[in-house]
Amino acid sequence: MVRKKGYPEALEKKLHDQRYYREDSNPEFLPKVKAISRTIAHMCFQCGTCTGSCPSAPRSTYRIRHFMRRAVLGLENEALTDPDLWLCTTCYSCTDRCPRDIAPTDVIMAMRNLAFKRDIIPVNFLKTVQAIYSSGHGVPNNDVNRAARERLGLTRDPPTTHMYPEYVKGIQKILDHYKLKANADRIVKEREG
Amino acid sequence: MSEAKHTFAFYLGCIAPNRYPGCEAASIKAMKKLGVDLVPLKGASCCPAPGAFGSIDLNVFYAMAARNLVLAEQMKMDIALLCNGCYKSIWEVNHKLKHNKDLKDGVNEVLKELDMEYKGTINVYHTAELLYNERFIGVQKVRDSVTNPLKGARIAVHYGCHLMKPHKDREFEKESMLNTEHPTWMEELVAALGATPVEYRNKMQCCGAGGGVRGYDIVHSLDITNEKMINLKEVKVDALTDICPFCQLQFDRGQIEIKEKFGVTYDLPVLHYAELLGLAQGMSPQDLGLDLHGISCEPFLQKVL
Repeated sequence: MVRKKGYPEALEKKLHDQRYYREDSNPEFLPKVKAISRTIAHMCFQCGTCTGSCPSAPRSTYRIRHFMRRAVLGLENEALTDPDLWLCTTCYSCTDRCPRDIAPTDVIMAMRNLAFKRDIIPVNFLKTVQAIYSSGHGVPNNDVNRAARERLGLTRDPPTTHMYPEYVKGIQKILDHYKLKANADRIVKEREG
Repeated sequence: MSEAKHTFAFYLGCIAPNRYPGCEAASIKAMKKLGVDLVPLKGASCCPAPGAFGSIDLNVFYAMAARNLVLAEQMKMDIALLCNGCYKSIWEVNHKLKHNKDLKDGVNEVLKELDMEYKGTINVYHTAELLYNERFIGVQKVRDSVTNPLKGARIAVHYGCHLMKPHKDREFEKESMLNTEHPTWMEELVAALGATPVEYRNKMQCCGAGGGVRGYDIVHSLDITNEKMINLKEVKVDALTDICPFCQLQFDRGQIEIKEKFGVTYDLPVLHYAELLGLAQGMSPQDLGLDLHGISCEPFLQKVL
């Protein structure tokens, strides 16, 4: 993907070296990441403020700066298949401090969205989807808690989808619209049988 | 006490009502004493969890949060909520949809199947923000409402991440809430209850639970929590207070898991600020369901009751 600016051939050739795409890179990756994340990922100048701010970095090989570079270089496979992609706690410290006003956290979220399109996703994320599909809650109520709520003068079930299950239908419509429940069920079944 | 001057649709989320119902009970009672009525947001669901849903498909995340927003729009009420994670979903999606027509149109296309339409007519507030902002309540009124000062208690604050970060996107009316490197507004609220707020190393670090990491790699997640616990141990506090039930779960249940996995014991009581406020206004530990906490609050209660 050489930038064509109508330069003389020799100069074009020289500029070609300035583009970093290799055979294992996908020039479409950066635009995709930018469209989903709505952040200016290409502006990253690799200062490392993000990794320096990251609570996951000191205890793993996860380097947010590395993922930023992979976005710019179009290293799609490398980024999406790296298990470290899932170690971001989304604390937004990197985004808070980025001197170029990029949101590296949102770049990670965009990469996770793209990974999911390839069925790359830890199963715990899908179980949250399944829980919400059936009850509307990611962390549903239980009997111990119902008894406690009653003791506190609250309703046994909170006035959410728990007390009004007729509202769950709307949630199911949203998840079905994006085929999220079907995909979650399929992937969980493939992994766990 | 005073008559209610402000009314909000009270968005509960999941962990507060389903794991720490004391946070819900205390918020309703304590805020009422301070002139804020919190009324049920009927049929609300999970916000949805920003880490889990945002990671899978942001469009679903936007649509699910928009459904909760529309429920409040139909009540013609602003939303108040008590969880940072919910704030990230509900406030931020509201903000994004108000400012991005393409996102709003996309969401409304899905909501049409539910006979709903997102209009962008309401605002979203965290209860901690309502307590701190004198347009609604303010520190002075909180101080005046205290009947049982938490005298002698040393309390550290965990701000959590998703209420304030990234500060560049936030629009708090109170300037001091935009400081994400070293905020002290929660310490002001803690001091208003008669307790001594205590600073500690790396106060603004994440609890480690978010982004699906708690479910994906529990040891990694707890290791982040453990670092905070080590820093808290250094300053010898009687309790840690938070404004996010998910952080509370991570510190409270997390201490039990840390004991199991790392063999370290801290036994540090962890209370949502609403629970502290309830105590300071004279609610009993039973009224607050403090017995539901994984780590016993007894040592702390003995000090303040």
